[in-house]
Amino acid sequence: MTLGLLLIVAFGGALLVYLPGKISSKLRDVWAVLVALAVLLGTATFYGKSVHDALSYQFLGLPLVLRTNDLSWFFAIAISGVGSFSIIFSLSYIKNRERTDFYYSLMLLINASMLGIVFAGDLLSFYVFWEIMSWATFLLISYNRGNALPAGMKYIVMSMTGSAAYLVAALSLYAKYSTLTFSAISTQITTASPGFTSFILILGFMVFGIKNALVPFHTWLPDAHSEAPSPFSAVLSGILIKMGTYGFILFLYVLVGFHQFSQLAWKAVSLQSVLCWLGAITIVIPTFIALMQDDAKRLLAWHSIGQIGYIILGIAYGTSLGVAGGAFHVLNHATFKALLFLCVGAVEYRTGGVRDLNSLGGLMRRMPITFIGALIGAFGIIGMPLTNGFVSKWLIYKTLILNQDPFLAFAALLGTWGTLLSFYKFLHNIFLGQLPEKYKDLKKAPTSMQIPILLYSGIIVLFGVLPGIPLKIIAGFVTSFGLTPLNVNLWGIVSETGTLNTINLSMAVVSAFFAAWVVFAFSRRSVPTTAQDTYAAGASIPRDKYQYSVEFYNPLYRMMGRYLRDVVDEFYGWLARVTQMTGEIVRRLYTGDARDYVLYIVLIVAASIGLKIWWPT
Amino acid sequence: MVAVLLIIVPLGLAFAMPLFNFVSKRIAAYLPIAAMVCNLILSILLLPSVMENTRIVILGGLPPPLGIHLVAGPLGVGLSGLISLVGLAVSIYAWGYIKQGAQDKYHALYLLLLSGATGAVLTGDLFNLFVFYEILCISSYALVAYLGDRNGVESAVKYLIQGSVGSGLILVGIAILYGMFGTLNMAQIAIHIDNVDSPALFLALVLLVTGFGVEAAIFPLNAWLPDAHSSAPSSISAILSGIAIKVGIYAVARVLFTIFGVAVVFQYVLLLGLATLLIGEICAFSQDNIKRMLAYSSVGQVGLIVFAMCIATPDGVGAGLLQLVSHALSKAVLFLGVGYLVARSGSMSLSSLNGIGKRMPVVCFACVVAAFSLVGLPPFVGFAGKFLIVRAALAGKSIFFTVLIGIVFLATVVEGAYFFRMVQTLYFKDAKRQIEYKKVPASASIPIMALVVFIVALGVYPDVLLPYLKSAAADLLNKAGYIKEVLG
Repeated sequence: MTLGLLLIVAFGGALLVYLPGKISSKLRDVWAVLVALAVLLGTATFYGKSVHDALSYQFLGLPLVLRTNDLSWFFAIAISGVGSFSIIFSLSYIKNRERTDFYYSLMLLINASMLGIVFAGDLLSFYVFWEIMSWATFLLISYNRGNALPAGMKYIVMSMTGSAAYLVAALSLYAKYSTLTFSAISTQITTASPGFTSFILILGFMVFGIKNALVPFHTWLPDAHSEAPSPFSAVLSGILIKMGTYGFILFLYVLVGFHQFSQLAWKAVSLQSVLCWLGAITIVIPTFIALMQDDAKRLLAWHSIGQIGYIILGIAYGTSLGVAGGAFHVLNHATFKALLFLCVGAVEYRTGGVRDLNSLGGLMRRMPITFIGALIGAFGIIGMPLTNGFVSKWLIYKTLILNQDPFLAFAALLGTWGTLLSFYKFLHNIFLGQLPEKYKDLKKAPTSMQIPILLYSGIIVLFGVLPGIPLKIIAGFVTSFGLTPLNVNLWGIVSETGTLNTINLSMAVVSAFFAAWVVFAFSRRSVPTTAQDTYAAGASIPRDKYQYSVEFYNPLYRMMGRYLRDVVDEFYGWLARVTQMTGEIVRRLYTGDARDYVLYIVLIVAASIGLKIWWPT
Repeated sequence: MVAVLLIIVPLGLAFAMPLFNFVSKRIAAYLPIAAMVCNLILSILLLPSVMENTRIVILGGLPPPLGIHLVAGPLGVGLSGLISLVGLAVSIYAWGYIKQGAQDKYHALYLLLLSGATGAVLTGDLFNLFVFYEILCISSYALVAYLGDRNGVESAVKYLIQGSVGSGLILVGIAILYGMFGTLNMAQIAIHIDNVDSPALFLALVLLVTGFGVEAAIFPLNAWLPDAHSSAPSSISAILSGIAIKVGIYAVARVLFTIFGVAVVFQYVLLLGLATLLIGEICAFSQDNIKRMLAYSSVGQVGLIVFAMCIATPDGVGAGLLQLVSHALSKAVLFLGVGYLVARSGSMSLSSLNGIGKRMPVVCFACVVAAFSLVGLPPFVGFAGKFLIVRAALAGKSIFFTVLIGIVFLATVVEGAYFFRMVQTLYFKDAKRQIEYKKVPASASIPIMALVVFIVALGVYPDVLLPYLKSAAADLLNKAGYIKEVLG
């Protein structure tokens, strides 16, 4: 199987969804799942391979190259994995909605274009796939109508701004080196002036920062992620924004190279420290904004920004531990964030679209599998031992501590506290607490939803206990960037400064749990009481009026809410209004009076002649 | 001699229209189709041979410096191919779309418009260019007013006033040149022009560029365009946006590059083009009337084409030409499609089209593809155009051009914003009231889809156009080469 063939299957499968869709929706579902799984299998066959195919097809006289290596494969398998899980989840989620053919077709198209991005071997094919991904994403974000429409507009306007920056960067490179292939540019750029490299990298930060939702380019994300259909939110948050991370890695480590990047500085401020601090800001502020959200999906969306901060911090830090941590966190975030979005999706599906944290509660017994999934996902994002999130966060903390960067390390820790608090709220308000009367007869999530939830949960624990499986690949590409090689084994990382051994860790955690269980099992049994006893001191409460999970963290919110405004978003909104107003003013040039128009013609003749007289050359 | 047929066939059929009317009233609608099929075939047959060397067709037996001649170069034949392609699509569309008024007059005027356009791009004589240009303009004034409603007549009169002022300027410019050189042959003038340094020469340049600039819709000469394009019948809007303004651009480029070739002026016109782009896009953004929005978007696109051409490198001119092709195809699709959307919903306001995508899937799909292409998204042809423009602009590695490209992208983002808003309106907004659903006739959906196929095919494989663009750019930019080809 060649890369070209894999992409043809992916794109062809996406576009042909309409054919079986015309016959029956069952056949279409089967087709969509088969295409997604075929792409997953196809991607898997490239494990460990290094391919560099120049296509015979040229675009505007420029050669197109497809290539894969450890880095590409790592992202590709995550893409096709998240993609196919979301397709399976969609089977029941999207069943009774309109335009289902369109939905599946775009899901698969976005999947295919993301694969194209990571397999692209030159800046042009990268861009083509990137743009297809962008407009397809726009269409799918708008799918839910209503509030989704402004969210889609925000996304696409920011995304186009990024694309513009990308084209300028790519074609400036082309003007200088007359090539767009990664391999050719990376060998030639070593001689470039620092000014030129900084120019390219800053443009790159813009492009990938926007897709990656790095502060201050993050404002599209909370709207888009919360308004998109949930299985697509999983793709969006899980892997689509990671295309920005891939872009960062590509520009920093593949094209420019870390050595050159770390040299770039303006007076005492280095570009690298700017990026690290942007990462740190991205961890802290969005995480605390997330804490204040009452919409389950918005809460998750803000956390996506926060987690991206960890990834960027790790990658920008540039030690092999840091890059490995950042890259591993890409995969981990893809699993637990996708899982969390799917869990919310399942709840949304059963409750008829409710995701307001103030009106849910007590669903644990009604939807046990979903609860377990959400619990494991929350553990993952907090970074509890036994989950993969722990390992990647450990790597990032370790880097920051080893290199004695207390402020960045503190920012990273602060982010974890915020995460812990908000996921307590998340779990409690949906699954614990009181079950509202209207949800008494809620059914379990359908099987097609439980399968991806269980699979994700399994992966999170598996990579938490045996992180060596993905770390082996990560160590491979980290070494290829010219960083110090990592000594990885199945249960962690061996180094002189401290060894990570997840097996011992797991044993410790499991025995702690066992000890706690023993204590509880042999102590006096707790007596279940009704809510009246505990919270109303025996007075009777009108049923269904009483919901103690409303306005969680209210005092905290009153304290901090004022400072946690999204100033950047307000600024962009202002910018959009100014553009609109400028339009209104400029339009007045066209007065509607033919006399004015003739005057314009005479004026331009006069102005041209005048210019010639005053400015003879 | 074949090149003459490109002009003779539509012109002859236009004038023969009354005769055919004696036979049957129904023939009128088929004549433009026949003429355009003929022109399309001829252009395609001619193109490979004129790629090698330009063919000179002498009319009336007098050789170039004295008589009038046609120059069938890669640019002229290529553009006539584009004119006949879009013209064919629009004439098939009009066959089903134009159901009211004096139909035979519509088709006769339409044929005149197209023969004017074809003649203007093929002629090698400056005065002849003016004559064909006037044929084009006068028939389009009449066609804008075709429906006879208040809006149409008002905009046609405005268009007429500005167009006439422009024509007057052109005529004075031509007179100055004729007085100085005693010839109207473009190649002859081009030979002698470098030997003369006179303020009058500059005046002639300004007058010609301004005059042709009115039709090319360069800011601030474009005030007629939003009115005319939005109140004309949609088939005419398509041809005006797709073809007529392109002839204006061609004339401006011919005057600038081939006749005068003054580098200082390029930068000046380039900045005008940039202003046109920015103002057009910003105005389009604040429009609610969909046809006016498309009209302003045409202004913006023209600005982009002028910008690209005035980079004045072979790459830049080639990129501008590709953008010209892309805009002609996409804007034709949009106007043709919107014609039926507006007819069905009964209003041109964008909000009246809410959710119409479900009712009229084919037309809306075509509009979305065309809109994406205009914004410059792959895999549609507009992407290739924009990519080449940016590449050409950045090729000089100058900071000035990097800043200008920044402004171009600012306009592109604004353009994207209103086109994506249109896409959301068509597909993702809930219809306020039930629109009475009537199927779009095949006479509309077939030409629209055919143009969409071109948009996608050229977007996936633009390389097929590259050799033509290259020699067309040389045709325009290489003054010495042009003189040599024409005068031997």
